[in-house]
Amino acid sequence: MAAKKLRRAQLSQEMCERLSRYQITTCQDFLCLSLLELMKVTGQSYYEVQKLLCKVSQACAPKMQTAYEMKLRKSVNPSSAFLSTTLHSLDRVLHGGVPCGSLTEITSPPGCGKTQFCIMLSVLATLPLSMGGLDGAVIYIDTESAFSAERLIEIAANRFPTYFDSDEKLLCMTRSIHLYRELTCCCVLKRIMSLEEEIISKRVKLIIIDSVASVVRKEFDTKLQGNLAERSNFLTRGASVLKYLAEEFSIPV
Amino acid sequence: MQREVGTLPLAPALRARLAAAGFQTAQELLDTGPCGLSKEIGISREEALEALQVVRQECHGDAARTAGGSGATRKCTALELLEEEQTQGFIITFCSALDNILGGGVQLTKITEICGAPGVGKTQLCMQLAVDVQIPECFGGVAGEAVFIDTEGSFMVDRVVDIAAACVQHCHLIAEAQQEEDLRKALETFSLENILSHIYYFRCRDYTELLAQVYLLPEFLSEHSMVRLVVIDGIAFPFRHDFEDLSLRTRLLNGLAQQLIIIANDHKSAVVLTNQMTTRIGQSQSTLVPALGESWGHAATVRLILHWDNSQRLATLYKSPSQKESTIAYHITSHGFRDVQPPAVTHSTEGTELNPRKRPRTEEGKQ
Repeated sequence: MAAKKLRRAQLSQEMCERLSRYQITTCQDFLCLSLLELMKVTGQSYYEVQKLLCKVSQACAPKMQTAYEMKLRKSVNPSSAFLSTTLHSLDRVLHGGVPCGSLTEITSPPGCGKTQFCIMLSVLATLPLSMGGLDGAVIYIDTESAFSAERLIEIAANRFPTYFDSDEKLLCMTRSIHLYRELTCCCVLKRIMSLEEEIISKRVKLIIIDSVASVVRKEFDTKLQGNLAERSNFLTRGASVLKYLAEEFSIPV
Repeated sequence: MQREVGTLPLAPALRARLAAAGFQTAQELLDTGPCGLSKEIGISREEALEALQVVRQECHGDAARTAGGSGATRKCTALELLEEEQTQGFIITFCSALDNILGGGVQLTKITEICGAPGVGKTQLCMQLAVDVQIPECFGGVAGEAVFIDTEGSFMVDRVVDIAAACVQHCHLIAEAQQEEDLRKALETFSLENILSHIYYFRCRDYTELLAQVYLLPEFLSEHSMVRLVVIDGIAFPFRHDFEDLSLRTRLLNGLAQQLIIIANDHKSAVVLTNQMTTRIGQSQSTLVPALGESWGHAATVRLILHWDNSQRLATLYKSPSQKESTIAYHITSHGFRDVQPPAVTHSTEGTELNPRKRPRTEEGKQ
C-alpha cells in the first residue's frame, strides 16, 4: 500500500512527472512531506495541495468496516475461526483453539514440548474439516533442525489410527507439510517475505516458525551497541509481514 | 489588507513573479484587478482571477479574525470555557477507581495516551471505551459512536461482543431497578447490533496508511457527526520499525499529534492512543519508559501508564493538567474492565454512581 505509485492514485500525468523529478514516486514519499514542501514541489497553491493530499490519502487509506459486519462475517463461518488443538481444557481456555487470522506465540523453557506441539498441530491442520482440521498444507520454517519426519508419522499413526490406516494416506499427509530449514535471520526474513505466493499456490492453511528466538539470539548479542535496534527492527518487520499474511488468508500462524 | 504578498498561500512560482514585479501588499493586488495583473506579470487572465480570489478569501478570513468572529483562532473567556467543561461528558470505563483518578472518565476534546507493557490491557481498555461511548445519556454516557483505527491487528470482535453484552445487561439492571420510562425507551436502541454497527473499524498496515487515514478523518467525522471517540490502537507499532530517519519520524509524529488535537477540538471527541513501552538503559539500571521518545510525551494531554505489580494490574495517572498523580488497581474480567473489589452496593446506589447527572432528578422524584 505504501509503495503504491502516484500514477495509480489518479493524479494527473504532468503532476506525476513533475513530482518524479524530485524523486517522489510513491504515495509514501508524498505523504511524508509537509504542506510547505508539497507546495514548493508541486507549484500549486495551498488549497490545491490540500485537495491533492485528499486524493492521495484516499488511494492509500484502508477500507472502513463496522464491528457488526466483522461479527457477521465470522458467524457465517464459525468452524473456520479456530484450529482445535484436541486438548479439551486448552481449547476451552483459548475459546475454541488456536485462532485463525492472528499470531499465536508458544514459549517455554527447553524440553517442555514446543516442537512436539508444533508437529502435532501440523498433523491436525492436514486433517479434513470433518475431523476438526483445516484440510490444507502446512509451511514449517525450522531454524533449529529439530523437525523429525519419523516422529511426525509416529504421531499421526498413533493419534488417528482409523484415519491414517494406509501408507498412502500417511504419504499424502507428509507431502502437504513443506519444511524449510533456515539458519540465519536474513534467510528467515526472506523466506517470510516470499510466503505469500506459496500460500496461494499450495493452499497453505497453517504457518509454523520454530523458533524465532533461537535464530535471533544466535545472531544478535544485545550487549553490543547497535544490535538491539537491529534486532527489534528484524523482529517487527517479520511480525508485521506475518500479521498481514495471517489476516489476509485467515490462517493461524 | 496590508498583508505581504510573500505570506499569501499562492503557488511559489506566482509569488516569485509578483515579488519580481514589485508587488508588496495584498491591497495592491486587489486594486490592480485581474486584467492589469495578467498584463503586468504575464500570466493568463484566468490564472490572475484565481489568484485574486485566493487573496480575497484570505483577507476576509483575516478581517473576520480581527473582528473576533469564528475563524481558525477562537477566543473566549475562561468563564465560557468553564461552563463548557462542566457540561461536557466523560466516557466512563466501568472501573470506578479509574474514573475517579481521571476526574470522571476519559475527557472529550482531549488526547489521552495509554502506555503499557504487552498484555497488560491496553487494547481491552480501548474496546471497553468503544462500547462505553455509546451508552445513552440518561444512563450517564455521551451517546456517541466510535472510530477504531487498528495498527497491530489485536481487535477481536468476539471480545467486543462479550463486553457489549455485559454493558447492555448492566444497563438493563439499572433500568429495572429505577423503573423509569425514558430509561427503558433508551434501552430499545441500545442493543448489541446497534453497538457493533456504530464502531467504525480501520485496519492500517503501515505508517503511510495511518497518515492517509488521519488526513481523511475530518471528512469522515463531518459525515458521521455522532462520533465522540477516536481510538488509535498502537500508534507506536508502525513507527518503530523500518525508520532510519529519526528526524522524519519526529516530524511525522508531531504532525499527527497536531492533526489529532484539531480533530478532538473541532468535533468535540476524545482521542485515545495506545503506546508501547521501551527500555531505557541507564548507567546502573534500565527502566521501562513509553516509546517514541521524549518529544512525543508532549503530544498527549493525559497519560496513563498500565503496569504489573506481581500479579496485580495497576494503572498510574502519569500526566494530567487537572488531576493529581495516583495509582489504582484494576481487573480484567470476562465482562471487561472492572474494579478490583466491586463496591458492595445495592442496585439503586449503583445506579446513581453510574449517572451523576441523574442524581438531582431522582431526588426531586422522591420528593
